[in-house]
Amino acid sequence: MLGFLVGEALRDLRRAGRVAVSAVVLITLSLAALGGFWLVSSNLGRAVAKWRDRVRIVVYLKREPSAGDVAALLERVRVMPGVAGVVFIGKADALRALKQVLGKDAGVVDQLPVNPLPASLEVTPSAAAATPEGARELLARLAVLPEADEVAGSADWVERFSHWQRLLTTIGLGVGAVLAAAAILTVTTATTLILHARRHETEIMRLVGASEWTIRLPVLLQGMMQGLAGAILALGALLVTHSVVSPRLEPLVSLTLGLSELVFFTPVAVVALLGAGTLLGGLGGWLARAAREP
Amino acid sequence: MIELHRVSKVYSVGPVKVPALREVSFRIGKGEFVVLTGASGAGKTTLLRLLYRDDLPSEGDVEVLGYGLVQMRRSQVAALRRSIGVVFQDAKLLPVRTVYENVAFVLRVLGTPRRDITARAFDALRAVGLSARAQAYPTQLSQGEAQRAALARAIVRRPPRLLADEPTGNLDEAMAAEIVDVLKDIGAGGTTIVLATHQARLAVALRRRTLTLEGGRIVKDEG
Repeated sequence: MLGFLVGEALRDLRRAGRVAVSAVVLITLSLAALGGFWLVSSNLGRAVAKWRDRVRIVVYLKREPSAGDVAALLERVRVMPGVAGVVFIGKADALRALKQVLGKDAGVVDQLPVNPLPASLEVTPSAAAATPEGARELLARLAVLPEADEVAGSADWVERFSHWQRLLTTIGLGVGAVLAAAAILTVTTATTLILHARRHETEIMRLVGASEWTIRLPVLLQGMMQGLAGAILALGALLVTHSVVSPRLEPLVSLTLGLSELVFFTPVAVVALLGAGTLLGGLGGWLARAAREP
Repeated sequence: MIELHRVSKVYSVGPVKVPALREVSFRIGKGEFVVLTGASGAGKTTLLRLLYRDDLPSEGDVEVLGYGLVQMRRSQVAALRRSIGVVFQDAKLLPVRTVYENVAFVLRVLGTPRRDITARAFDALRAVGLSARAQAYPTQLSQGEAQRAALARAIVRRPPRLLADEPTGNLDEAMAAEIVDVLKDIGAGGTTIVLATHQARLAVALRRRTLTLEGGRIVKDEG
């Protein structure tokens, strides 16, 4: 029975001809646009997540505490809300780090009469505190430590970046939705033509006592086939684009975003896109359903 | 068994009411071959449409096998139609399918196992003498052949009831005689047949029970 229903759906698609092709092209365009924005957005999302992990707040201390005081200070900071971890950096450690940064010019540091760098605490905020609000609250808490001279760091720039990522996702959804609406209308038009072309079949099917599902399923199936074909084409186009573009862009994104590679969709996302295409087509087919008999 | 109780049918054309059937009552037993005759517009087609529930009466009730068709649910209508074969004057063959595909289509629609379809479709085509034209398209058939193909499609499910609406209406006498012979053979197998025709001579030649319709009323029930 399924073979018959699928066969009828394929026959209907051949009948619809160019209108069915237009519907497939529109579904391809809408899903390619949606998928393209989704890909860019998900890679930016990875960069945002990575940078959130790198957010640090530095508490410069008035004077270097003794070894015993360091342990107590670290414990007091560790239990503060919004703190995921804390590391003490002594004056000597800070100077060593500076020398590493200066590289071949590290000799300049040796000319200094005294070590001018302060001891500090490097605080890693928890995920909840790695937002502008959370970071500001944590800064306020750390600033009131009696040992603190100055507190530096914020998550504003990460949040601004995250804002752009969300904006991109919204634009993608908007463009995708407009194209998807056009695709649904085209599938509906194609299906209406198909229903007209198969009116004799429908009449015979009703006459011989076919169930309503047997009559309607080929119509729904041809819509779903158009949607699935569009989704497969869109995924193919995105895959080709990704494999061509990503090797050229990866050095740039590694430098600017800190991402070693640009990832493609996960298997779940691929299934979701295929499902979305099938659903779009099916919806178009369903909307054009035939008038029921009295 | 088919039974009509005081069935009337009125069509509304704008404000105008056009009566097609007026208080028609009769009963057809299992395996009977009944000819429904009358001039064009007498109500034959309307009556047949009520029998396979393509339309509902304005008054009265139609019963098939004891089931009232007026109260019947949609799902039951499909079951009713699976027990009735229908043939029309214009054959209503699907033009993009061969004769074999037209006949097999019915079986495929009803979910008949694939392995049985070919054998049953050819059985039906043989019964109407059309197996040699199985691969022809409807446009390549004569009117008589098209009508026989429509008959094959109607009987391929081996329904216990067959309704034929002017199946010889477009045919010359020789072709009409062929169709009538096929119908007689089908009837001989125990199928209940209701044949609607405006051709009075055909009704007489058949020598079967004949119901004569005039202005939507049964005016004669003889034979």
